[in-house]
Amino acid sequence: MNPNSKPRATVLPPLLLILTLLPLLLMPLGAIFVFAGHAGLPGLFQTLSQPDAQFALRFSLLTAFGAALVNGILGTFAAYVLSKYRFRGRETLNIVVNLPVAIPTVVVGTSLLLLWGPIGLLGQFLDPLGIQPMFAPAGVLLAHLFVTFPYMLGAVKPVLDELETTYEEAAYTIGASRWQTFRYVILPALRGGLFSGLLLTFAHSLGEFGATVMVSGNLRLRTQTAPLYIFAQFEAGNIETANAVAAVLALTSFVIFMLLQRVTQQRNRRAS
Amino acid sequence: MLLRVLDGVRTMTLPDGKRLPEINEFVERWRRWQTTRLNWQQLARLALPSLLVSGLFLYAIWPWIPGTRGPKVRTVVLYGFSIIGEMMNDAVFPAFQAEWEARTGEHVEFISAFSGSGTITNQMILGVPAEVAILSLELDALRLVDAGVLPAPTWRDLPHGGVLNRTPFIILVRPGNPQGIQDFADLTRPGVGVVHPDPLTSGGAQWALLAEYHSVRMLGGSDAGAFAQLRGVWQNVVAQAASARAVRTQFESGFGDALITYEQEVLSDRWRGRLRGEIVYPQSTIFSEHIVVVLDRNIAPEQRDLVEAFVTFLWSETAQRIYVDYGFRSVDEALNAANPDFGVIPYPFTVDELGGWEQAKPQIVDGIWHDQVLPALGMGGTP
Repeated sequence: MNPNSKPRATVLPPLLLILTLLPLLLMPLGAIFVFAGHAGLPGLFQTLSQPDAQFALRFSLLTAFGAALVNGILGTFAAYVLSKYRFRGRETLNIVVNLPVAIPTVVVGTSLLLLWGPIGLLGQFLDPLGIQPMFAPAGVLLAHLFVTFPYMLGAVKPVLDELETTYEEAAYTIGASRWQTFRYVILPALRGGLFSGLLLTFAHSLGEFGATVMVSGNLRLRTQTAPLYIFAQFEAGNIETANAVAAVLALTSFVIFMLLQRVTQQRNRRAS
Repeated sequence: MLLRVLDGVRTMTLPDGKRLPEINEFVERWRRWQTTRLNWQQLARLALPSLLVSGLFLYAIWPWIPGTRGPKVRTVVLYGFSIIGEMMNDAVFPAFQAEWEARTGEHVEFISAFSGSGTITNQMILGVPAEVAILSLELDALRLVDAGVLPAPTWRDLPHGGVLNRTPFIILVRPGNPQGIQDFADLTRPGVGVVHPDPLTSGGAQWALLAEYHSVRMLGGSDAGAFAQLRGVWQNVVAQAASARAVRTQFESGFGDALITYEQEVLSDRWRGRLRGEIVYPQSTIFSEHIVVVLDRNIAPEQRDLVEAFVTFLWSETAQRIYVDYGFRSVDEALNAANPDFGVIPYPFTVDELGGWEQAKPQIVDGIWHDQVLPALGMGGTP
């Protein structure tokens, strides 16, 4: 780090930032906790211990773990291929794999339904075989994989693009295979990117709503994720219950990003 | 520091050209130990995050770990329109669970989803595994027949033609009724603002249209008078929203003077102490009828006895009493006396009066409201 660009100890800019963020971000976040806590702490725990709330939280977490695992591998592979290989259609593919960010998630859900659903393009052939991915946990995972795909890619690919090819070339000259080069040269450099990509995927999957509501069938105790549970409780007018689960999600995300910051800071400190 | 000194020592060569083998070995060992110690430090630093993550994972997977789960329970999958959700979860399901357990010793779990009637109908057309569904109007059930989800209008073979319970459409006005609204006819007066759900998307709105139109004829008026009232009400519509619930929010946030909605919704708000307004009971209005649909194609043979028992239970006196407690009117007229909050409607009617939805929809909703009233008000042009 350049010693001249040390953070200055000033009060005004941070204060301005906080004032700006107050109505945009901080107060809405605070409102979740205020409403969640309306019934007091015992009430909060009682709300959270209901079987459908418990199920929704667990199901959301499992889906998020699943999405992070699969997209962690798939996204890294995609980033590696798109960054290190030159082939026809690479530019187009590069745009296409980033599209899930821009497509409304409801559209994602609908398209999955029209493909895998019982009357969908592929689904109508699978249905007689007893394979029904939609309205089941598999469908929710599929939707989350689609929606969160770009996050891993976005975290890993820039690092790969920046990575000096000389390291790889050096590895090849001493006889390392492509896999060995990846394992011992590229992967260590990617650690930060992988880590933040995984956390982003996880956090995003935890909060996914639009695609999930279409493909899950929204069945409590079977396919209802935490955001769907929150929405259903809002619709039924149970604002405290909705906010209690929302508070847990917000808290989990907070912890996740705290971890992210902690680990990346340690790496930077060690590196400098 | 020590390492640097040792490094110096190590690179020292003895006069005879040999290095110090012992020291060399020591340095190597020390180095190795150092690196392993570094790894331990790293691990310690990563301990908190890894513990948190694995704790989270363990929590998430807990019910699926073999041995932590009880014996497999039987389930019933039910989809229902939104306003019955609370009643089903809090009262009807527990009552059936108790009854079934007393009869068979088995514990039954309900897998349920509640959303707008049109939404769950679309979901069923797309193939959700619903075994039983409760819809807010028969039109949605008819759509299921059209889509091939049901082979025929099978709900008509159920008790009361598949009608589970009813609720009349009433007028909700501002506290104190400042506009002096007494009936649908008052909603046609100039200066009265009406908030109305959108009939293109809302089931409740379709019921409301029939009430606005046919109530005139119920009170002895002519077709022309009915048309004039429907037109007059729609002339005063100041805001529309996609669903009965959304339009409710509009009304509560200050739009308009009157809202046409389900009696049950207003009563349940009053019991929760959050009603800001007054109910006006029209002389004549429609009773919405909520339909139970059994989706045979989604019911496995071993499930049949359970689903049939549950459907029968829906019309039992226990269940019908629950509906009355929650503000719905029972199909068994005698039970309705139990709820003193139900208002009196001298000339009620149902959609049967109009030849059922099969006729009411094309004749009144499409033929009169959409094709004549909207163009007359310059709101037409929607396909």
